[in-house]
Amino acid sequence: MSKEFQAIVVGAGPAGSSAALTMARAGLDVALVERGNFPGEKNMFGGLLHRMTSIEEVFPDFWERAPLERHIAKKGTTFMTDAASFHVQHETASFDRTPYNGYTVFRPKFDRWLAEEAVKAGVTLINRSTVEDVVLKNNRVQGVTIVGRQGKLSAPVVVAADGVLSFTALKAGLRRPGFNPDQMAVGIKALFDLPKEVIDDRFGLVRDQGFANEYVGCTGGVRGGGFLYTNYDTISVGLVVHLSSLRASGKTPYDLLNAFLEQPQFTKLLKGGRLMEYSAHVIPEGGYAMIPELYGDGILVAGDAAALCNATGVNLEGINLASHSGILAAKTVVEAHAENDFSRKALKRYKDRLDLSWVMKDLKGFRNAPKMLHIDRIYNEYPELVCSMMEHVYRIDGTPKVSIPKLIMREVKEKVGIKNAFSDLLTAWRAL
Amino acid sequence: MNIDEIFDFTSFTIDREPHIVLDDKVCAGCDVRGCTNCCPARCYTWSEAEQKMTFVYDGCLECGSCYVVCQRNAFTRWRYPRGGFGVSFRMT
Repeated sequence: MSKEFQAIVVGAGPAGSSAALTMARAGLDVALVERGNFPGEKNMFGGLLHRMTSIEEVFPDFWERAPLERHIAKKGTTFMTDAASFHVQHETASFDRTPYNGYTVFRPKFDRWLAEEAVKAGVTLINRSTVEDVVLKNNRVQGVTIVGRQGKLSAPVVVAADGVLSFTALKAGLRRPGFNPDQMAVGIKALFDLPKEVIDDRFGLVRDQGFANEYVGCTGGVRGGGFLYTNYDTISVGLVVHLSSLRASGKTPYDLLNAFLEQPQFTKLLKGGRLMEYSAHVIPEGGYAMIPELYGDGILVAGDAAALCNATGVNLEGINLASHSGILAAKTVVEAHAENDFSRKALKRYKDRLDLSWVMKDLKGFRNAPKMLHIDRIYNEYPELVCSMMEHVYRIDGTPKVSIPKLIMREVKEKVGIKNAFSDLLTAWRAL
Repeated sequence: MNIDEIFDFTSFTIDREPHIVLDDKVCAGCDVRGCTNCCPARCYTWSEAEQKMTFVYDGCLECGSCYVVCQRNAFTRWRYPRGGFGVSFRMT
């Protein structure tokens, strides 16, 4: 296969499809190259898609059209030890109304839908094609070579949206060859089948309401956390663990997952569930500090490939940033075509646009979040502190009660030390 | 849960050509071997008796963990499977 286009997008994930769709609607002849048999076949995530305001501009009736599971009406955090848990939860009527604040989705369905919308807008989707290299002419990216379907695709500009390891950005010299395992996490997930009525009853949901929960203290001391998301009639559960910490621990992610699933308060949530699928993927969690070069001669980088992922510990966002960056990349390419200038200098406008958007403002604003997430005490000592304190508060055993401030001081002294607690509090304050 | 079962629930279209190839001489000189515990699919096995690393690619989830944690750059090849091959997530 050898073909010419006005733009090539590598990877039909949320960044790639959003970019391709935007360019096609502006009249460009776009190729969207995907290595899976269909878009989304290779993609996984925890399961929570946050609200995508930029996609809502493209599809004002997004929540009617997209293949969504449930909208998130309830969000919670659970601090956990091997035997105890302390849970906080937020629920509001405003998250139960359109425009919904977030949804659970399946990537093989959602990504496929978004790519098909791009095809409807005129994009040429090329499945089963892994990009092997970029084609350079006079040091400018002018296309890509593919394997699977063998061939070469040419275009004056390429958008690299090929995910966290972006070999396209690497071949174009925009990212460094290795990654820092301190800036990377691996997410693993198991999907369990449960009837809709059981999920509704168990989690206190009605209609298509969904529940998203995060867990701290369930990773055997390894930096990371757990998650549970309710789909229509399945439940996604899993862990996200930082790779440097996991490597040093010598523990395996699946053994940690098993221990998480066997924690007594957790077990009952999945009771009767049948295992459906197991998946894993690396996540860029280094934040602002790990963003690679975003543009070069004839090339732009978007989504996970550009490390546009915001893991503050409170919200874990990625697809919304990816989609927005894809749209901004597309607008830049459309302008470049109007001026017939695909130089690095012309494509810099993409970065200017990103810098002005909430994507970069959020990443910059929370650039200290990764530092906070590297406090190892968060993953063991603090959940133990919270659970042990609450046990003391609630326990009635014939001994006189200790006041809560005294209890806090005692637990802090015992479990983390006053000095550490202050320094951690300060780090968290700066991060959030 | 029997954790061994978990690996049987994912679908694959296996390419006859491996997408990841190791230089096992490099692995033999590594004392960290983060790949063996970080790989979520148990693709890496270190044999103490033979002092040899084995990588089996058929169950690879293409997650990228080994690529990130390898300290010795032991890969003579690390790429995604050719288009159409490899792991196939259906619902995830």
